This record gives sequence, C-alpha cells and structure tokens, in this order.
Amino acid sequence: METLHFLMQGFDVATRPTNLLVALFGAFVGTIVGLLPGLGPINGVALLLPLAFALGLPPETALILLAAVYLGCEYGGRISAILLNVPGDAAAVMTTLDGYPLARQGKAGIALSLSAVSSFTGSMIATCGVVLFAPILAKWAVAFGPAEYFVLMIFAIACLGGMVGDKPVKTLLSALIGLALATVGVDSTTGVYRFTFDSVSLSDGIQFVIVVIGFFSVSEILLMLENTHNGQKAVKASGRVLFNFKEYCFTFWTMIRSSVAGFIIGVLPGAGATIASAMTYMTEKRLAGDSGKFGDGDLRGVAAPESANNASACGSLIPMLTLGVPGSGTTAVMIGALTLYNITPGPLLFEQQPDVVWGLIASLFIGNIILLVMNIPLVGLFSRMLSVPNWVLVPAITVISMVGVYAVHSTTFDLVLMIALGVFGYILRKLDFPLSAVILGFVLGEMMEDNLRRALSISAGDLGILWGSPITLVLWALVALMLALPGIRWMRRRKQVKAQADASAA
Amino acid sequence: MYVRLFAAIWLLLCAFLAVIAWGFQAPFAYDPVGPRAYPLLLLVLMAAGAAWLIFKPGPHTEALSRQALQRAGLCILTLLAYALLFEPLGFVLSTALATFVLGLLFTGRVLPCLISGALMGVLLYALFDYALDVPLPLGVFEALVES
Repeated sequence: METLHFLMQGFDVATRPTNLLVALFGAFVGTIVGLLPGLGPINGVALLLPLAFALGLPPETALILLAAVYLGCEYGGRISAILLNVPGDAAAVMTTLDGYPLARQGKAGIALSLSAVSSFTGSMIATCGVVLFAPILAKWAVAFGPAEYFVLMIFAIACLGGMVGDKPVKTLLSALIGLALATVGVDSTTGVYRFTFDSVSLSDGIQFVIVVIGFFSVSEILLMLENTHNGQKAVKASGRVLFNFKEYCFTFWTMIRSSVAGFIIGVLPGAGATIASAMTYMTEKRLAGDSGKFGDGDLRGVAAPESANNASACGSLIPMLTLGVPGSGTTAVMIGALTLYNITPGPLLFEQQPDVVWGLIASLFIGNIILLVMNIPLVGLFSRMLSVPNWVLVPAITVISMVGVYAVHSTTFDLVLMIALGVFGYILRKLDFPLSAVILGFVLGEMMEDNLRRALSISAGDLGILWGSPITLVLWALVALMLALPGIRWMRRRKQVKAQADASAA
Repeated sequence: MYVRLFAAIWLLLCAFLAVIAWGFQAPFAYDPVGPRAYPLLLLVLMAAGAAWLIFKPGPHTEALSRQALQRAGLCILTLLAYALLFEPLGFVLSTALATFVLGLLFTGRVLPCLISGALMGVLLYALFDYALDVPLPLGVFEALVES
C-alpha cells in the first residue's frame, strides 16, 4: 500500500511537462544512439550526462533523461540488428541471428514490430519487479555497515569476473585499473595528494565525465576508423508492417520467460544485458528443440533476446538504487551522474530522495509506452538514420564529446586528458580488456576505499570486522563461488575435450 | 604477444607507482589505515594480474596492419590538435577544421567535408552557446565581438 502511494507520487513527478518532454527527447535520442552500430547505451548516457549537468537540470529530470536514453538504446539496437545484420549495441548480437534472416524473407516489418513489443514486455515486467523488490531490498540494505558494503563491492567485481567468463583475469585487471584511477587526487580523509604528479588539475581527482567520455567516445572513434563505410544499405522493410495475433500467441510465453530471466540476471551486479540475451536465446533454442527454426528466422529467436535485454536493463537499476552498486556499465555511469549532484545512491535514497527514486521508476513506465508508440510507426525514419555516413557522424560525436568535457572545468588540460584516456581505452579494447569493468571499478573506487577505512576505524584496525557478521560471511562465500566459476567451467571443458579425444581414439 | 607486452609494461608501471605510493604518509594518523595501504594493495593485485597475463596471455590477439596504425595515429594527432587549438582558435574555427580533417580521414570527399565542417562549426556553436547555455571559447572571434 505504501509502495502504491509512493508510486503515485512518482507519477506526479514524472508527468510534469518538463520531465515528460525530457523523457520523449531521451527516448528518441536513445533509439538513434542504440541503432547506430558501435554506439551503445554507455555512449549515449556519457554524451548526454555533461549536457544535462551543464543545463542545470534538477537531479530527477537528469536521471529520467539518462534512463530514457538507456531504455531507448535497448530498443534501438534491434533495428540495425534486423535490417543490417549489424548489432546496434552489444546486447543485440543475439537478435541478428534470427532477425536478419527474417528480414531477408521479407518479414522485416513483423520482426521489427514483434521485437518492439518484446522489448516493451521485458521492460514492463522488469519495472514491475523494480517496484516490488526495490523497496524491500532497500529495507534490508539499511542493515549494511561499512564492512558489509566493502565486501558487497568486492562481490560486484567478482561477479564481473565470474560471469563474463572467458577472460576472468583480464576482467579483474580492468576493474583494478578502474579502482586505481579513482585513487588519483587528494585523499579525503588525510588530505595527502596521491598520484597527482604536482598537477593542480589532477588534485581533485580525474573527473568522472572525462573518464567516461574518454574511454567510450574517443576510443569508439578510433575503433570506427577500422570499418569506414559510407552508410550501409539496409534491407527494405517490406510486406506486413505489424505481426498478427497468431504470431503474438506463438511468442507470448517466450517473452514472459525471457523477461523474468532477464530481470533476474540484470539484478545481479556485474552481469548485464549481453549475458541475459545470450542466455535466454540459448534456453529458448533448447526448449524449442527440433521444431524451431532458430538461426533461419524463428520469431522466438527475436522475441527472447529483445525481452531479456530490456528486462535486464531495468533490473540493473535495482542494485543501483538500493545498494549504490552498479549492475552494469551504464548504471555505473548513472551512479556517477548522481554523485555529480551530490546524491549518494544507496538504501537511504528511498527515504531521503523519494522524488528522485519514484520519479525515475514512474518515468520508466512512461518512457516505455513512449518508446513502443514511437518505435512501431517511426521505424522507417529510424532506419533511414543508418544511412548517415561516418564522415558526418564521427566528427559530430567528436565535437559533442569535446563540448561535454569542456563544460566541466573549461580547461584544455581536461581535453588532452580525455584524449589520453581514450587512446589508453582503445589499446585496452584492442587487447580484449572489457572497458565496462574499468568504469565499474572507477565508480566503485572511492566508495570502496571509504568503506574499508571506515570499517577499520570502527574496529580500530582489526581486520576481523571484514568477516565478522553473517552478512559478510554470506557475501564472502558468494565471492568465492564467483571466482571459482571460471575455474569450474575450464575444468568441465577440459573433461569434455578429453572425453571426445578418448571417444575418437576408441 | 601484444597482451604480454602490455602486461610487462603494466608490471613496470605498477612497480614505479608503488615507489611513489610508498611516500604517501599523513602527518597525523587520522585512521588506522592511512592513505598508503589501499593504493599499495591495488598495485600489488594489479601486478599479480599482469604477471599472470605474462605467463598466460590467453588467445592470440590480431595485429594491426601498418596502414591501420597510421590512420589511428593520424586520428589521434587530429584530436590532440583539436584539443590544443580549442581555446586559442575558438570553438567555431577549431571545430570546422577538426570536422573537415576527421571527415577526410573517414573517407569523405573534400567538398562535402568542407561544407559539413563549416556548418557544424557554426550550427553547433549556436546550439550549445545560445540554446543550451554551455559557454564555449570564442577565440579569434573575440575581438570581432567586442569591437
């Protein structure tokens, strides 16, 4: 009942004219950013964040904007996946597998409209999940002290290493690089300057906006250099524009199953939309068995990943809002956005800033409806965006990045630092280090050190406090499990290979 | 190979930073941990990760072709020049120039790039400075505006 009251209050905030306008704008921009190959939700959020800040938007409006962009990207990624066979963002990789064959068969309209409805279903189910579970989790989380927080953050990072799978060491090293970048600047407890190399510009640390834009926009520009195409020919969306009732029923349970699974995966810190869409696609393929045409254009193969990636995008807001620990790279950026406004996300947010939290949740519902309404008739317009050539697109991204960074401090130093970080990010990407882990580490860095030091101050230096309470013990067990996962997978694979070798030898 | 090289450089960097970090000492002990322990802990963990990658670099990463490297280098130089000229030349001029050069790098033709450069310089300035209220440097146009 109380939740319902707060939700109504949230709708009050979200339906203010400026907030509605901002949600509309964010949804539109998000869809475009999402469908442009190479640009994903992190880029969209990173490009708009400094603008939102420079414009002096109030925190709830800024957050609504970023959330609308985030959701919009998850909607947009599927358009280029279906029409071009190029995923618009990483989470849409699975959508290409069946979406493109469908488009080739002249069913592009059906695939696009059905995937829009899948995205809508996914987000809606997950947003309801947020409404139900976030307040409960926030109540629990109040019991968390600094020691528990510290271990929780270790768990978030371990999750990243355990779930991303094939390169745990690189992932963990990336997260450590992020954590280390966060130590630059003056130490808040003692006032000692760390790693500033006597530079005034570094004394209050590396600005969050500079890190995000450097790592994601500048490195993306360098990456785009490798595939310079001059606009791409999309498959013409022909035939029926809308799916029929039979096709909807055919995919109904797929959508529901994948949405729930996507939501759960999204709630886990570290595991994002990409993993959710891959896992649900595989599950649906297995469930369908021989009756499915997965890979040659099965509608379920479009519905599953699309509902899952939207559901996990919404689900990842739960750890962000209740614990202050990001569930994905994009929510990490949003936490950074909140800290720019001097708002620390965490369990107290629900009590201290109900307008921000519930406004955001209500705006998810509204943004979703806007996106569904926008996406079905405007698909033609959006797909025309795909023919914007890179020689216009890349300079535009560059200029917006520069302005975004310049708006923070108005110094040339920041611009150069951004480019340096971008080049570093480019090298990391070429070497297959996941950048979202770096950003996660960077956001967690300061909180992690603060909580560790606070915990040890409470216990007067006794390390025992870090495993003294039941909560910490459970979290440590989970950390151990996550760190063991890649090892277990590796052993299993080796056994399989060995069994195969034995079979072929016999 | 490249991963190994990177890991080796990173290991050296960690050692170098550890030497610096050793010097972080607070004049008074405010808390039992102090400013030194946490960065050192991170550096040790990073060094361990880097050492692991030297021995087990994982799957082979593709090498960049000479041409791709050249283009990446040119792109970085353009971006740096843009950043350094941003204030002295002002937003409009530096943006027009950078847009033009980047457009060429991304295989645009000369005339369209010139047009897009000029348009972007002027239009984005108007958008950001007037519509969105983000202050941008005028640079060489400053004298014009003042007179």
